[in-house]
This record gives sequence, structure tokens and C-alpha cells, in this order.
Amino acid sequence: MTREEISRRDFLRRAAAAGLAAYGMGELAGMDGAAEAAGPPTIAVASKKSPAQLVQAAVNALGGMKQFVKPGNIVLIKPNAAWARMPEQAANTNPEVVAEVVRLCKAAGAREVKVMDHAIDLDTAAFKMSGIQEAAQKAGARVISARTQSMYQQVKLPRGKVLKSADVQRDFMRANVVINLPIAKVHGSTKVTLGSKNLMGVVWDRGWWHQSASLDQCIADFAAQFRPKLTILDAVRTLLTNGPKGPGKVGTPGVVVAGVDPVAVDAYGATLLHFKPEDIGHIRLAFASGIGEMRLDRIKVKNV
Amino acid sequence: MSRRLRGLRRASQLAFLAAFVVLFGLTAYLVATPIPPDSFLRADPLIAVSGMVSTRRVIWSLVWFAIPVVVLSLALGRVFCGWVCPMGTSIDLIERLFGMRGQRPSKAPQLRRVKFYILAALLLTILLPAARRSAADLGMAQTVGLSAIYWLDPMALLTRTFALVAFPVVQWFTGMANEGITAVGYSDFVYRHEWLARAMAPVQTGLGVVARPVYFRLGVFTFLTFAAIIALGRFARRFWCRNLCPLGALLGFVGKASPLRLAVSEACTRCMRCVNECKVGAISDDPHAYRGVECIECYSCVAVCPVNAISITTGRAQTHRDDRLGLDRRRLLQAAGVGVAAMVLPKVDWGQRLAASSTAKFSGAKLIRPPGARAEESFVTACVRCGECMRVCPENALQPAFGEGGLEALETPILVPQVGPCAQPCTLCGSVCPTRAIEPFTVEEKSHLYLGTAMVDRSLCIAWASDKQCLVCQEACSYTAISQKEIEGLGRPVVDERMCVGCGLCESACPVVPQRAINVYATGDKRHLSRGEQAAIRRQAGEPNRGGAEAGKAPG
Repeated sequence: MTREEISRRDFLRRAAAAGLAAYGMGELAGMDGAAEAAGPPTIAVASKKSPAQLVQAAVNALGGMKQFVKPGNIVLIKPNAAWARMPEQAANTNPEVVAEVVRLCKAAGAREVKVMDHAIDLDTAAFKMSGIQEAAQKAGARVISARTQSMYQQVKLPRGKVLKSADVQRDFMRANVVINLPIAKVHGSTKVTLGSKNLMGVVWDRGWWHQSASLDQCIADFAAQFRPKLTILDAVRTLLTNGPKGPGKVGTPGVVVAGVDPVAVDAYGATLLHFKPEDIGHIRLAFASGIGEMRLDRIKVKNV
Repeated sequence: MSRRLRGLRRASQLAFLAAFVVLFGLTAYLVATPIPPDSFLRADPLIAVSGMVSTRRVIWSLVWFAIPVVVLSLALGRVFCGWVCPMGTSIDLIERLFGMRGQRPSKAPQLRRVKFYILAALLLTILLPAARRSAADLGMAQTVGLSAIYWLDPMALLTRTFALVAFPVVQWFTGMANEGITAVGYSDFVYRHEWLARAMAPVQTGLGVVARPVYFRLGVFTFLTFAAIIALGRFARRFWCRNLCPLGALLGFVGKASPLRLAVSEACTRCMRCVNECKVGAISDDPHAYRGVECIECYSCVAVCPVNAISITTGRAQTHRDDRLGLDRRRLLQAAGVGVAAMVLPKVDWGQRLAASSTAKFSGAKLIRPPGARAEESFVTACVRCGECMRVCPENALQPAFGEGGLEALETPILVPQVGPCAQPCTLCGSVCPTRAIEPFTVEEKSHLYLGTAMVDRSLCIAWASDKQCLVCQEACSYTAISQKEIEGLGRPVVDERMCVGCGLCESACPVVPQRAINVYATGDKRHLSRGEQAAIRRQAGEPNRGGAEAGKAPG
């Protein structure tokens, strides 16, 4: 079973490489999961520190940001900045976490760091109240509100079971490195929102996903094609009720999870919200398509 | 000396027009302006009177701004019209641009009294509704008539033109610029040249903030009104100011007290240049006499006199200043009749009898007012349709009403969630309303200012009707008013009407198009209740504690 699993993954990687060639060089450069070593995926779980230190510890446990960001790279960070909510309400990614990731990318030699989201609430309000705009700009990033359709390009998803094409944000497509930076929250439609659900924020016509045959499958399809180089899950605070916007009950695990395998990070993240990974439709489907590991006993957890 | 005075006047005109434009343009969400953006509207004594009479209280923010204008007029006559009024300046500029000189004074239509009749009719529409009071009025409805001041007040008219016509055009161009720079910014060329990307970044960021597509229905009606005012300049320069403007009439009447006079010396050669130059036809065929209530103190006559025979003096000069209004009693009565009609007729349009009241009243299901709006009867009377609230709304959600509230509500602001929602942290519309038709409100108060109620149409909702995984409305709701009902393992949205304030975020986010599956209706409008009473209703609903995805267990 395991062997089968790996060979399928290898096959899909080759398919992805072929796809890359089809789209022209650099088009999918930021979505490259192939850096991962063979064997069980490793995720780093940092706890009992300040938010900035949590990020440092988690990223260092994976070998440091230099593993992911090369000098001269353009980095795109996708936090969750969708809601006009304060950081204490745990609806958006923690601004200190965002700022620290920006600093680490800068320190690793990134030419430009962009922090982008397509807010659902009024973008100016969401960026301001979440504290992300100020924190990211102070750390040296360019904050982008992707709120016009011209900032998106149509992309085919040849491997998609339900999602065959999507209008994807251009900065996301063109970055050398994509870092997915979600916050762990419960969610009305999909039970939880973690890494792969956070990527819905780089899609213009996301409303269609709800109307499609399966929202969970759309999320998994998208995650299968667009695999960020690094997923850093902010669980400094978690939203436990009335997600994704709240206000609701806020948990304080005080944890940051980082990993190359997006499914493994999501699977661990689900447990922080008191769910089993296999109870979450889109995690199950992402695992089934072979893009990552969701079985907790096969994920190597480095606690730091 | 004489020319310098005209130059000074022109500089003043341009400065005040610039101030008007800047105040109009600057106000935005998260941008604080030290001077109230509605300053020009507040300074308009007609709006001040209308606003205070129709809401039956003293609004000091209006009083403090309007008094200087009245004092100015008492001292210097219609200097406001000549030196300050942005409407007058706009007309001057456009007439200059198109070379409109009007017809010769002898041929120009003599309609200068019309503005006084208009003023009389409008004042009647302000005062009569306020004078009538009944038991029912004391509670819910405060007035029974309709102030028609909005129709012809120059400040309201110009602000409305700027808001509904000029602003969308400007935003169309910034939008185009934004599209262009976005396309260039994503080109390979820019990606290859780091310095270029660096240089473009601030422009992109700036345009990204400024360039918001703005669209207003009915903009064309406002445009036609303004265009008609300009077009009348073909008959006589500043046709609007000399014949129609009710504010000009009021200030002319007040300005009778001014001691300023034009003096024409014996040097006058009767060349008639001043007569031809006068923008408002205040100088009749005899240069030695002029109408005091018409003169806007622009001093063009002083500037053009080839022999410098005209000067400005105080006290008795030999020049004859005619201060008579020359109104006809029969015409005044006719004007009063028109005023009553203007007040009553919009109220008896396609009305329907509400079960709860004996009066016929149009009430549309989509008549959703901005937060803080006064009860409907009082609101339509106080609102001067200046469009400031629509202009500042960051979501472009406030639109001029067309049929939603009947004729009496024409061009008043309504929330149209299909265009945009009422953004939860925004309180701008309440802060720019000159007459407090929209009372100022806080973000906290918005959770119990009930504009309406959202209702799920289960035959359209893809969660209810076709078992789709969709709870976008529940996600978007700022007030946890939408919860999910678990049926056959799938969540379906349900609205709690005690928590729903009708902000329309759900309707605007609903992916079902074109007819959304969740819609806000005026059903839950609680403006007739005080804010305290509305807060009590919200408290009954308790703290937000539901939401399907409870921690640790599957929803349901």
C-alpha cells in the first residue's frame, strides 16, 4: 500500500513537471513540493514562545528559510486577511506571524516579498483591522489587495476531478516561492479551514466552487495542482465556533506548525481544532489524490 | 485698482471651488478630514432651515456654518453668489469654456422674480409639514409633508451632480489607469527589470486604493438637471443665478440690509459696457440705476468701465439702488399653490394602504435605509439628496432610490446589497449627512440598528434546493445572525431575525446569480424605535453562541 502510494506520487510529480513545461518556465515555479525527501513527511510544531519565536523555531526545524527562499527570489505570502476583525478574534492570520515570515524571507535574500489576499469584507477594513497591512509593511513586504479581475489569469487544471479551470491570482502564479500562511479555524461549509482552504483566497471565481458538484473536491483539486513550497499554520489563536468569521470562542494553543507537505500540516491542524483529519472532506480527498499524507501515525512531528 | 478687485474675486471663486472639490473628494473610509466634508451644505441657510424645521430641533453644526453666510450677506449683499458659491463658479467656468455670452440684455427673458416665487413655494414646503401635528405624528411619523428644498437648492444640486455624475466618471478613468498599470505590472518585461517593478509598486498600491469602480443608477437624471441649468446660459449668462436659484433669492433679500453701493460718477459716457457685462442683468438700460437684490458684487462692471466711472461706496451715493422685490400678490398665491402640490402630490402616488395605519403609504420591500436613518416620514423630509452618503460609501452600496419609496423618496439613499453591502466597521454615511437625516452612529450601535432582515429563498438556495456545500452567507455574516441547520449531513442556512440587521453582506456574497438566494427586505426595519429599544431587542437574542461547527464534534 505504502509503496503503491509513493509510486503514484512519483507519477503525479512527473505529470506536474510535464504540466510545468506546458505552461512555460517559471509559471508554476512557486508551487514546487518536489524538494521533499523520500520517506514520511516531516512537520515542525513550535510551542510555548512568542508568535515571532514560534515562526523562527518552526522554520528552523525544517532547515531554515534558506531551504525555501533563494537570494533574488520573489516570494508571495498568502495569509488569511479576509475579514474586518481584530487579531484577538482569531479570524485572520496573526499579524506578528505574518511579519516574522516576511522578515525571514527578507533575511534569506528575497528580492521582493508580497503579502496578498482577496478579502471578503471590505479590503481596506480587513487589512487594517487584522493588523496585517501595518505589520507586513513594517517588515518590508508589499501588501496587495487582489480585488480586481485583471489581477487574475485563467489556469486550466488538467488533473482536476471537479475543478477544471480557475482564475488564479497573477502574483501567486508568478512568484518564485509561495508560502501559504493560514490560521486554524472552524468553518461552516468545510468544518475546518486550514492550508488548502486558505488557497481559495487566490481564486477570483471562488463562488462557483460552492455551486460545483463538490466544494471539498474543488479544494483538493486546487491543492493538488498548486502546492506551496511551504505551509506555515498559525495556531497561536484558533477560532473554535462561528467560523470562519466569528466572533466566536477563541482557543489559545499557542502553536505554529510548518511543513512542506500541505496535507500533513492540515491533518495536524485539524487535531488542534479537535477534529480527526479523516472527518474533513477536503483533507481526505487531498490525501486520496496523493499529494500528501494525512495519517497522523505516518507524519514525523518535530516538537520544538 | 478696479481690475485687481475682479482678479481677487476670481481667485476667491476658484479657491472656494477647489475647497469644494477637495472636501468632496477627500472623505473616504479610514481617511480623516479636519474640516467636515459637508461644510458647503451646512453653510447653506436654506438647508439649515429645512433640516432643523423638518426634524424639529436645533442642529448646531448647521447653525454655526450658516450664520457666517447670513452675516456676510447682511454686510455685503449677495457676495456669496459672486465670490463663494461653487455652483456659480461652475456656471461661470463652463460658460467661459463654451463661450456662452447669453443674449443681449434687452432680449434676455425677464424672469428675475421667478426665483422669489420658487423660494416662497419651497419655504412653504418646509414650514407647512412642520406646522401640522397629530397624535400619530408624535410617535412614528413626525411630519406629514415633504420638503421640496432638495429639488432646487444649489448646494444640494451641485453636490448631487458631483456625487452621482462626476465621481463615477473620475473613477472610471482611475479604474482604466489601474487596469493598464496592472497589465503592465504583470508583464515579463517588468518582472525582468527589478528597478521598474520597484518604481511601479507605489503607483500600483496607490491606484489599488483609489481606483474603485463606482456606479450610480439615475446618474443620468442628475446630469440632465445640471446640463439644463448650464444650457439656459444660452438665453442669459448665469440664467440659474438670476432667475431660478432660491438661495440667491434668499441672500438677495437678506442683502437688502447691506450698506454697499455702486456709485457711478459724472464721467460715465453711457457706453453700456457695464450693462452688457453684468452677469445677472442687475443694471438696467440706465447705468445710473441698478437692482440691489440682483447684484452679486462681482465687480465686473467696475473692471470693464473704460473711464473708471464706477466705484464702490457705502452710504448714500447718487446712484440709484433699487431694492424692491416687485413681487405680485397673485403670483405669490400661485407659488403657494405649487408649493402645496409639490408637498402633497408625491405622497399620493401609487400608494397602498398599510394595515397598521390609516394613511395610504407606499412602502417598498427593498426600501432599505442606511444605518442611523431617521424614521421614514422624517427621513424623506430631512434628506436634501445631496448624495454625500452615496459618495462616501466604500462599497458603493448606497444608491439613489427610484421607485422603492414612492415619488417622495426619489433620489434618497437606499442600500442595494446586490451592488455592495454595508461594511460592518464603516460609519461614514452618518458622519457626512448635513441635515442629520442619517444620524451619526458608532460601529457598536450598528449591531442593533435594524435596516431590514435577510431571508433565505429556499427554492433558490443551493444548499437547501440542491444539497450543495454552501454556507457563504453564514461565513460572511458580521453578526452571527446566520446559522446552519443540519439536514442529511449537510448544513443549510437559517437566519435569526433578532440578530440580523439587514446589512446585506450575505446577499452581496451569495454565489447564486443573478437573483440571489438570500435577500434583505425592509421587513425588519426598526427605525421607528429608539436606539435604546432596538438595543433591547438585540440583547434578547443573547450572546452569539451558535454556529454549526462546534469544537470537537461534527456540526449538528
